[in-house]
Amino acid sequence: MISRRHLLQSAGIGAGALALGALPTSRLLAAGNLTFVSWGGTTQDGQKASWAEPFAKQSGMGVLQDGPTDYGKLKAMVDAGNTVWDVVDVEGDYAFHAAEAGLLEPIDYSIVKKENLDPRFSFEYGVGSFYYSFVLGYNKDAVGSKTPEGWADIFDTTKFPGKRSFWKWSSPGVLEMALLADGVPADKLYPLDLDRAFAKLSSIKKDILWWASGAESQQQLASGEVALGKFWNGRMYALEQSGANTGISWKQNMALADILVVPKGTKNKEAAMKFLALAASPEGQAAMANATAYAPTNTASLPMIDKKMTSTLPSEHADSQITLDMRYWAKNRDAIGERWYAWQAA
Amino acid sequence: MFEAISTAPYRSSRFPRLRLGGLRPALPALIFLFLFMVVPLSSLLLLSFTTPEIGLGNYTKLLADATYGRVLLNTFSVAGLVTVVSLLIGYPVAWLLAILPSRVSQLLFAIILLSMWTNLLARTYGWMVLLQRTGVINRLLLHLGLIDQPLSLINNLAGVTIGMTYIMLPYIILPLHATISAIDPAIMQAAAITGARPRQIFWHVMLPMSLPGIGAGCMMVFVMALGYYVTPALLGGTSNMMLAEMIAQQVQSLLNWGLGSAAAFILLAVTLVFYAVYIRAVGLGRLR
Repeated sequence: MISRRHLLQSAGIGAGALALGALPTSRLLAAGNLTFVSWGGTTQDGQKASWAEPFAKQSGMGVLQDGPTDYGKLKAMVDAGNTVWDVVDVEGDYAFHAAEAGLLEPIDYSIVKKENLDPRFSFEYGVGSFYYSFVLGYNKDAVGSKTPEGWADIFDTTKFPGKRSFWKWSSPGVLEMALLADGVPADKLYPLDLDRAFAKLSSIKKDILWWASGAESQQQLASGEVALGKFWNGRMYALEQSGANTGISWKQNMALADILVVPKGTKNKEAAMKFLALAASPEGQAAMANATAYAPTNTASLPMIDKKMTSTLPSEHADSQITLDMRYWAKNRDAIGERWYAWQAA
Repeated sequence: MFEAISTAPYRSSRFPRLRLGGLRPALPALIFLFLFMVVPLSSLLLLSFTTPEIGLGNYTKLLADATYGRVLLNTFSVAGLVTVVSLLIGYPVAWLLAILPSRVSQLLFAIILLSMWTNLLARTYGWMVLLQRTGVINRLLLHLGLIDQPLSLINNLAGVTIGMTYIMLPYIILPLHATISAIDPAIMQAAAITGARPRQIFWHVMLPMSLPGIGAGCMMVFVMALGYYVTPALLGGTSNMMLAEMIAQQVQSLLNWGLGSAAAFILLAVTLVFYAVYIRAVGLGRLR
């Protein structure tokens, strides 16, 4: 007969053994794998298929997906000396800002091949992930027969009534859009005239909704909650593919890149560099472009892109394209951010 | 010494005397609380005084700036509004639960508890689907011909109030129900026998007797509503931003941790003041 004490003792030993066994295993799990972090949704699915899976096959090292990218978490990790994220996809201006703040590992260009990388989007501390454009997305049911074209149409609430939606956080794009709509020529955008931009935005403030994630932007447009907005082109492509009745205008599209960075103190530095080498390679960039309609940051990828995808890529719409100045934003990030949030809350 | 304690004049129940020896069984819990709550909070407090430079810079910035003042004011007014609306809806429900036959009330209870246990995010997204311009509520009202244009029920104060009230209701119904069901029905019968009309019975007998439950429930809902992040962020608009969202902006986007911590501490301090006032008013011994 098993006494209660005996049962408790053996249960205790069993639990202890399990705990002891589990502890190093979980650490090994993290150590033997690369952690890749991005923004989730269709974009991260594309990155997983184009880079993570080929890398895992090639190197035998598993790739864990995490996300969404959180700059607060990144800083906390690096400051605490406990970096668990190995490769992180961040917004371009943040990459420059983080490099200056000493949060990133320099890219090992002996492992990552530098030739053919678009110099706009790769630098000492980061490799271009993909480049995208902010495009004017619209819900065809909501706008009716008229087709919106340039950014000035977003500010025309008589011609196109309804709500508009923009990216919520302080980031390149919305202010430039307001200035372009107000008539500022593309080559005279920087330094940004903040007063003029905020005044223009205030003219439609009560009609503005904000999207805080790519999926939310797709949801808002597809459901008809907003009639027009400024969105990431890849998400709009995914929306059209899924059958939603939406359209895109590429006029005055604004190009910006996401950059892959390696946070300082990562334990898998060499593996991270090898991963970047694959991601930045012509094949890796072409695969990503084919999957997501985002443009490659490796100029040698262009011939490898599916013919049917080319019309969906920012690289094909360069005629009225404006490249946003990430270095300007990196320098002025905090000042603009404070003003942005104060205006948003007003 | 035993006699000294037992024959000492009985102090008011407001601040019962603490016998420190009796704390020994609670020691593991206290240590846990200390390690995982007091220590992190103190380091955060330290951060608010030392980043980006040592001193009260963050606090003066917060209290002087009109934007932050507005956000703070808005946080308290929305929390207050949610508390009042939850009370107005929750009181009748709690009362009903107390007087219905047990089978029906058990079913209602199960519904309330299930909704409380459902994931917060799932419930908030559910409300987004209901409240959208092309959402269920608007489509129904348009179909019935009651409105011409879709109502703006989301991304504004209405959306936040609806969403947060829905989430806070179980927290006000449960304490209220406990208090109301503890009221002896004979007291109300006695009031009726002595000639009080139903409305008088409610105002002069039932309401005062359920006051502890009202106080406890309202306090819980108010304090929770003050710190809420997800529901106001998803259902509200930026012009009635609440403090939690502002702190998130500082911490995640502007990476200004000193300011974010300072804002969090101002919120904590004001909440503690409210709580202290509440304890004084209700009396510590009568807390349930």
